[in-house]
Amino acid sequence: MNCIIEGNGVKVFGKAIHALARIGDELWLDPMVKGLAVRSVNSAHSAYACFCFSPLFFQRYCPNTGPAGACGTVKCKLVMKSLLPLFRCLATIERNVDCCQISINLPDNRVIFQFHCRHGITKTHNLGFQESEALQAVFSSHLCPNVLKAQARLLGDMVMHFPVSQEEITLSMSPLRVNLKNYYEEDKDRIKAMHTKMSLDPSEFDYFQVGVDSDITFCLKELRGFLSFAESYGLPVSVHFGAAGKPVSFSMEDMVLEANVVLATLVDPESKTLSQATDVPPPAALRCGGVGEPMEKDGDAAPPQAQRFPSGNELVVSSQGSPVTGGAAPPCVTRTEGFDRLRTPPQAHAGPGITAPDSSEVHSLLFGAMSCEQGFGRSSVLPSLVCSSDTEDDGRL
Amino acid sequence: MLLSTHSQTVDDNYVLVASLDNVRNLSNILKAITFKDHAIFNATPNGLKVTVEDSKCLQANAFIQAEIFQEFTIKEDSVGFQINLTVLLDCLTIFGGSTVAGVTTALRMCYNGYGYPLTLFLEEGGVVTVCKINTQEPEEPIDFEFCSTNVTNKVILQSESLKEAFSELDMTSEVLQITMSPSQPYFRLSTFGNSGNAHYDYPKDSDMMELFQCSKTQTNRYRMSLLKPSTKALALSCKVSVRTDSRGFLSLQYLVRNDDGQICFVEYYCCPDEEAEEEY
Repeated sequence: MNCIIEGNGVKVFGKAIHALARIGDELWLDPMVKGLAVRSVNSAHSAYACFCFSPLFFQRYCPNTGPAGACGTVKCKLVMKSLLPLFRCLATIERNVDCCQISINLPDNRVIFQFHCRHGITKTHNLGFQESEALQAVFSSHLCPNVLKAQARLLGDMVMHFPVSQEEITLSMSPLRVNLKNYYEEDKDRIKAMHTKMSLDPSEFDYFQVGVDSDITFCLKELRGFLSFAESYGLPVSVHFGAAGKPVSFSMEDMVLEANVVLATLVDPESKTLSQATDVPPPAALRCGGVGEPMEKDGDAAPPQAQRFPSGNELVVSSQGSPVTGGAAPPCVTRTEGFDRLRTPPQAHAGPGITAPDSSEVHSLLFGAMSCEQGFGRSSVLPSLVCSSDTEDDGRL
Repeated sequence: MLLSTHSQTVDDNYVLVASLDNVRNLSNILKAITFKDHAIFNATPNGLKVTVEDSKCLQANAFIQAEIFQEFTIKEDSVGFQINLTVLLDCLTIFGGSTVAGVTTALRMCYNGYGYPLTLFLEEGGVVTVCKINTQEPEEPIDFEFCSTNVTNKVILQSESLKEAFSELDMTSEVLQITMSPSQPYFRLSTFGNSGNAHYDYPKDSDMMELFQCSKTQTNRYRMSLLKPSTKALALSCKVSVRTDSRGFLSLQYLVRNDDGQICFVEYYCCPDEEAEEEY
């Protein structure tokens, strides 16, 4: 792969790296014909981010590696700690860097970042990489019943009210209001903590669609990097989600760039929120996240049970049925566009009290739950799920 | 003036008296070489030279010419002593580091000679502080035998361009490699860290390059830990000259302008690291 980013684009690219660094410790570089995708996932596999830069973003873009592109597209994984310092000071980059050339040198196992700066100065960084399968999560945002779209500034203003240390927040949506409040797990914390709640009218959003009243709780920390990027880039952000337990996606796109963050959401059977209209377990139709969802037809049961993560491997009781499947067979979640490969045999709907899948299932659920990412990866190439070369996640998919 | 009347009666005993209206003209430049506790002071009629050394491989010198001082009286050809530089700096900045417009701290530095402490009178806004710091037998500074006739390569760069490079240097690299050559890459700084290699190239025709005199391609490595303190001098300076001699010894000379726009010099000498295999 060989590409050149000019002028202001270097700062945009650097900002994307900053946002990805908030998610995970490694960066996947995936040069495709459609563009260069840079992705990251957190260690619990409950947060995923992808920035895809189309060829228009670059002054020059060649996805193939090797002499005359003979080696095809080489996908690789970089350590975030090595890459982030290159883009640490964005103000300096803006001032000094004329262009940045990124290329993959296969024989030496290096990704080369070469910055051509003012005064003829050249900075070359040769970073070691690991060849790797592409990291990709697929998420059928068009199947989500709830959609919000707003300028990044609005979302930034919303989350600004929460302290930087705030781990998770809960987004509640009903036809009348959109609420955002901070989330605490243990009752004992409630006494000491400051509770913040924001309430917005649907008219504040550029687009508001509520298919199912829901409260979703997700990690705010991992989202901040993306929001910061969106604000500086100036594009509106779309939020797609369904019932609690299903992932939430934040995305933005324009001609040259598509970015999105997918976060797993907490399943909390105890929560008695305003929008929880259904019993636990909710009826199948709603559980799969929306009225008239086509996916139920096949009787594929298990709805996504993406869990939440942060400290250690917590088990959260699932309200949405489906016992742990254990072993190699991953639960299928949705069926879309003919990608059936993650089906499981139909399962009985279990009631509450079944121990939720452990974090190993989280990973598979998050990534297995979703269909092809819009516009990308829609080719017939098998979308690789989270890094088949990940050594710490044996036996997973 | 408060300070001069105080010392008039004992003036005859001093072998060195130096006064500054703004102590920062001395303290700032000393901060650029404070990487070790002890410094060797050497005063001559030309001015003051302060030397700090590290593990016999690195030497830093700060030169403050006599003209910088409002008063500089020396009764001998050479006056030398060793002193704790950290303590000295603490005293020189005893009124605090922050600068308020128009307010400066005045300094009068007096030394009676061998065995006597260095006496400092510092005054700001009518408040006077007197400090007496013990002195020790001065050690002989190392002579790196770096002479201009032996210099193989020399460049002078505007500091601005190097400041950024030095602040970004990969500190996981044990060495800083400097390549100077009459052909590409002309002047290159390289690091070899955990994540990979980095190279900073300055072409000979860059407008940051004020002088480029390289006769022979030379690549030398220096311990990063030794050179890192020179970043302080670089931060203060507006220009830096980088010279290497036939042995690979490095001389960095920094041109520093003080608060009043006067010029002082700081120089660093460094021995090359033992020959290791060169990586690209």
